[in-house]
Amino acid sequence: MSDFIAKEGIQNLHKPGEKLITTHCCYCGMQCGMHIRVNKSSGKVVGVEPRYDWPVTNGKMCPKGVTAYQTIDHQDRITKPLIKKNGEFVESSWKEALDLIEKNFKRLQEESGKDALSVFGGVSMTNEKCYLVGKYARVGLGTRYLDYNGRFCMSSAAGGFIQTFGVDRGSTLPWTELEHSDCFFLAGSNTAECHPTSIQWFWKAKDKGAKLIVADPRETPTARVADVHLDLKPGTDSALANGMLHLIIKEGYVDKEYVSKRCNNFEELKQNVDKFTPEYTSEITGVAVEKLIKAAHIYGMSPRSVVMFARGVEQQSKGVDNVRLYSSMALLRGQVGKFASGVATFTGQGNGQGGREHGQKSDLLPGYRKLTDPAAVEYISSIWGIDPSEMPKPGVSAYEMFGEIEKGNIRGMHVICSNPAVSAPNLEHIWNGFKKLDFLVVSDFFLSETASFADVVLPATTWAEDEGTTTNIEGRVIRIRKVTDPIGESKPDWEILSLIAERMGKGKHFLYNEAGEIFDEFRLATKGGKADYYGITWDRIDRENGVFWPCPAEDHPGTPTMFEESFYTEDGKANLGVVGWKEAGEVPTKDYPLFLTTGRVVFHYLSGNQTRRVDFLMEQCPEPFAEMHPALASRYQLEDGDMVKLKTPRSHMTVKTKITKAIRKDTVFVPYHWGKELAVNQLTSDCLDPISRMPEFKVCALQMEKLPAKKEGITRE
Amino acid sequence: MKSLERSFYSKSSKYSFIVVLLLFFSIWIGTENFLHFDMALMGYLISSLIFAIGLTIRMSSWLLRPATRQVIQRSLKNLRQRKYKRRNMKAILKTAFENIFLQKFIFKRGIYRGVQHFLIAWGCIGSFAITFGLTFGWMHFELVDPETYTIVVMGVETISMAAHGLFAEMVYNGLNITASMVLIGVCMALTRRIINEDVKVTQRAEFDLFPLFLLLAVTVTGLLLTVSYVLLDGWMHHYMTLVHQVTVVVLLIYFPFGKLFHLPIRPLTTAVPMNYQEEWKVDTRPCLRCGTVYSSDPQVSDVKEILSVQQFDLQLEDGSYLSDYCPACRRRIRVMKQLNNQPHLQQGHNPILTRNGSEMSGFGSRRTDDYYNFPDHVQKELEQHKEEGGNER
Amino acid sequence: MNKIMYLEFERCIGCRACQAACRECGDHDAKERNYVEYVDFTESRQTYPMLCMQCKDPACARVCPANAIQITDEGVVLSAMEEKCIGCRNCTFGCPFGIPKFDFEENKMYKCDMCYDRSKHDIAPMCASVCPSDAIRFIDFDEMQQLRRRRSQMNLVEGKKPQEGNKWEYVPEFFGVYTD
Ligand code: SF4
Ligand code: SF4
Ligand code: SF4
Repeated sequence: MSDFIAKEGIQNLHKPGEKLITTHCCYCGMQCGMHIRVNKSSGKVVGVEPRYDWPVTNGKMCPKGVTAYQTIDHQDRITKPLIKKNGEFVESSWKEALDLIEKNFKRLQEESGKDALSVFGGVSMTNEKCYLVGKYARVGLGTRYLDYNGRFCMSSAAGGFIQTFGVDRGSTLPWTELEHSDCFFLAGSNTAECHPTSIQWFWKAKDKGAKLIVADPRETPTARVADVHLDLKPGTDSALANGMLHLIIKEGYVDKEYVSKRCNNFEELKQNVDKFTPEYTSEITGVAVEKLIKAAHIYGMSPRSVVMFARGVEQQSKGVDNVRLYSSMALLRGQVGKFASGVATFTGQGNGQGGREHGQKSDLLPGYRKLTDPAAVEYISSIWGIDPSEMPKPGVSAYEMFGEIEKGNIRGMHVICSNPAVSAPNLEHIWNGFKKLDFLVVSDFFLSETASFADVVLPATTWAEDEGTTTNIEGRVIRIRKVTDPIGESKPDWEILSLIAERMGKGKHFLYNEAGEIFDEFRLATKGGKADYYGITWDRIDRENGVFWPCPAEDHPGTPTMFEESFYTEDGKANLGVVGWKEAGEVPTKDYPLFLTTGRVVFHYLSGNQTRRVDFLMEQCPEPFAEMHPALASRYQLEDGDMVKLKTPRSHMTVKTKITKAIRKDTVFVPYHWGKELAVNQLTSDCLDPISRMPEFKVCALQMEKLPAKKEGITRE
Repeated sequence: MKSLERSFYSKSSKYSFIVVLLLFFSIWIGTENFLHFDMALMGYLISSLIFAIGLTIRMSSWLLRPATRQVIQRSLKNLRQRKYKRRNMKAILKTAFENIFLQKFIFKRGIYRGVQHFLIAWGCIGSFAITFGLTFGWMHFELVDPETYTIVVMGVETISMAAHGLFAEMVYNGLNITASMVLIGVCMALTRRIINEDVKVTQRAEFDLFPLFLLLAVTVTGLLLTVSYVLLDGWMHHYMTLVHQVTVVVLLIYFPFGKLFHLPIRPLTTAVPMNYQEEWKVDTRPCLRCGTVYSSDPQVSDVKEILSVQQFDLQLEDGSYLSDYCPACRRRIRVMKQLNNQPHLQQGHNPILTRNGSEMSGFGSRRTDDYYNFPDHVQKELEQHKEEGGNER
Repeated sequence: MNKIMYLEFERCIGCRACQAACRECGDHDAKERNYVEYVDFTESRQTYPMLCMQCKDPACARVCPANAIQITDEGVVLSAMEEKCIGCRNCTFGCPFGIPKFDFEENKMYKCDMCYDRSKHDIAPMCASVCPSDAIRFIDFDEMQQLRRRRSQMNLVEGKKPQEGNKWEYVPEFFGVYTD
């Protein structure tokens, strides 16, 4: 199999003495195609080359993607296991580290039972690794406490989709069809900054006359060019969606035939949205009536439309409801399961889609099987070679694990591919949890904020040092290639997990020599499940530009467009969302009169553990800031660049102000990519969605205070 | 003077003539009426003369370029101004020392490159000085007594030294030392070109490599001469002299026309701070639009002058020139101009309309409602709400 | 090379991938040569990219006293030759578009060279390759003409062809290396 894949007629720059290795970006769900340049003689990674013939992204990359290769051979890489001795990390051998882990893991389990250990996974790694994390926790350690950082990312979308469509695939259509759509309704997605390479498809469609409706408290670069920008108050999405549904029904834009044939609950929905008149909606959301009407008509009149949303609507205590309601907009218009139309969520993490299908979630087994379903338990147990009775019961969600630590139920933790010390809400609680743990192991390739709490840090490899697959934003399974050998003594996560499992006496379940064998095992594990990967092989991925799941057999073409015939619910019909209006978990009060909302900037990825180490990205955005409207700033006598103290009921922090009219007058925005005292997540609310257990990152009540001048010069260049 | 002017085809031929004349005159003095002229150096002499002519022609055509002339003129004017004398001298000396002697800026590009260039530059200059000194007879050695030499420069005795002292050794071996410097430098340069692909991206290979190989040939043959003389008892000495002579002749003739020509024009660099920076490396002229200092008055007026001589019309409607704005504002002006959106020049703005009937949204402009073909009642409803006024930001 | 760099400012989303990518080009020494700037951040997030127009008769070269700015056979205007540049910065003031950058430390001028090692092989320059919004494109002359026609009611003075000296007054599309 060749390492360099390019279609005929595609020209790339091959420099003498270098080879190109075809792979994808390590960061977001777009999984932009790229070739990595490697020096033939030294084997060192030297740069990046666009992959012009990758159909989803056409060679395009955001600045994170362009600089991603710089994290591989980075000077900050952890190259040897680190053991904390007297509060200092000391380099040690693998044997020493594994001995220590074995000793403590066994001790804790002996003292407090199997469930004294816990595993905190992540989905910025390949399917193979994600799958193995689940198996490692349940078979290797035998604990029920397993969850992953997708709880802070995609779980509301997953919950909403499962309730509505019966299955959770992020997008019902392939991205390449977007250019043929007539209207996009984007809610709570700063696409231009968080999934930049999607923009080409929207702009292409726009060139052909497509319209764009964006719901966001900020006028993001995407909202800037929208036909209608619905500048709603944070946390009022369900009201906005109900308002839109109201208008769609009232103005006769419902595809009656489709709804009656393929959807449940239409009458209930109709009744429910009755009171959401434009005036009532406007009152709750703060969006002008005119805009609501205009948006509804533009959306309703478009023959093909796509409703898309992202963390803005999902990271709320009503995340699942929001997803259901927005999805219902597409259903009422009869758009789901058709060409160039449908519903999609923007997957945040690189393998957010794949990672959540393979049993890293506290209640799921590979292939989207439910841990509460005895048949599923039996099937997976047979693949894993364990007795069904050994299968642990469902545990608790990511944030709630820290509650268990508090209560003393969880005493040891292994954090893999995640940095909750930055990305979880209400950080002080998280930090206390980490401090309280008896034993913390972290696998990472940089010393993250979480790793600094650890007793043992194991050097993992980056994405470029191992083979594997990921599943991108569309549900397309794609191939990640090994570009270089592991740096220093680092090892791929699957190898680390296998080594520990072996020490825990479960070695016979983890006899892998290479990632490909894990892929084959989990194909089998997903067989017959909702997310069926059985028919996908690495070979097919290369030949067919990736394969969309579900793909139950090797001669099955994969499923680019979902729900063409029926839905995955029991009766095959989609369930329309019938949800009333409910306030967010925390609303502005007299003491905390403003909204605080958080999000990303284009230059950083999640907790910033990687991107904060790349020079170019740090030069562009070195620190967090509080973005606010000049009208708000002047109420507090703030000027651009002034230091401001932000306070919520949980904690406070100090950042620089950044003034722009491109945000609501009652809302302050702070990006969350920094740790310690720069982490806005110290302030965020831990109010969880009742179903998805997603914390409400996007809404909390804020108090603001100007700090005495310590102003630095404002640079305008 | 006029008649002298008319006796030549062009200015450059006139200057070449004068240069050759001066050279002969200096040889005449240096060799004390050709008394000390070394006939063995005849080949060198002729090629040096060609070198001088080539250099003169190139220099004069270079000086005739409007941009160069403008800078030279300003420098001369500046130099004549008494009240700036101190500032001028300081600026010139400082730049000459840092920029030309130490070549600091090349070290900033990398120590390796700095060392490499320093060796080649001073090796070459030293070699040239010694070679010319000897061939034009500007300098020769004279034995005062069996133990003492003296160096005669232009017929005047200067330093005398012990025949076998360290200093004397250095003087005899001057050429060998400078040649070794060049040799090391050239090897470093070639290595860099082999190892680093990037160096080749915008360099024309011949332009970049030819002079290096030439220098390599000259220094290697030159050093071999010494080797043959000292170690091999003059084996093949005659033959090698010839080869060496050929390489030197080629180098001298190539010099004015290739990459090495940067050497004689480099001194212009000393004029930069004197002309354009009141204070060392400080900008003084504010941008017309944003007020950031970005240049100095004399420089901007020079640039305008140079452009206008060459028929570049970069004047804006309001009479200002593009060079009156800082680079950032110039970029902005271009963008705004192309989007018909120049608040600082026009009243209001007028965002672009395209011919396919749609407005490009962006830059604060919105599509008008008729783009959407709303049914009439919807349009009316919208109008009504608009009148009530939404909460547009 | 009969391809053009085509800019459409309003497409730009300000991600600065073009700048990150510019650093990746051969011989760029990890310094970007293009610009992405806010029109006015207080008002809107609109940004625009800016790079060299590769003029046929470049003002920067004309104002250079050292004659250090060369044009390749393909028509690409290169950075000042390091050995010739005397560091006067005239080019940065002469250029009507504010393109050349100057490094005081290293005493050298550098500017967009259309990623010469790529474009001379007809491979798209780095910025145009990665720009997620197609604000920067590397396209055929004909395609450029077509795109321009579509947007031609811009401030192009009908019937008049931009001249080298004043092309900055016209559409952004007149830009890049092209043959008549
Ligand atoms: S971060 Fe996302 S958009 Fe950016 S290059 Fe990587 S996959 Fe593409
Ligand atoms: S064409 Fe190349 S050199 Fe020019 S701005 Fe783009 S990336 Fe930089
Ligand atoms: S890459 Fe494209 S969209 Fe991003 S800043 Fe550059 S021009 Fe703008």
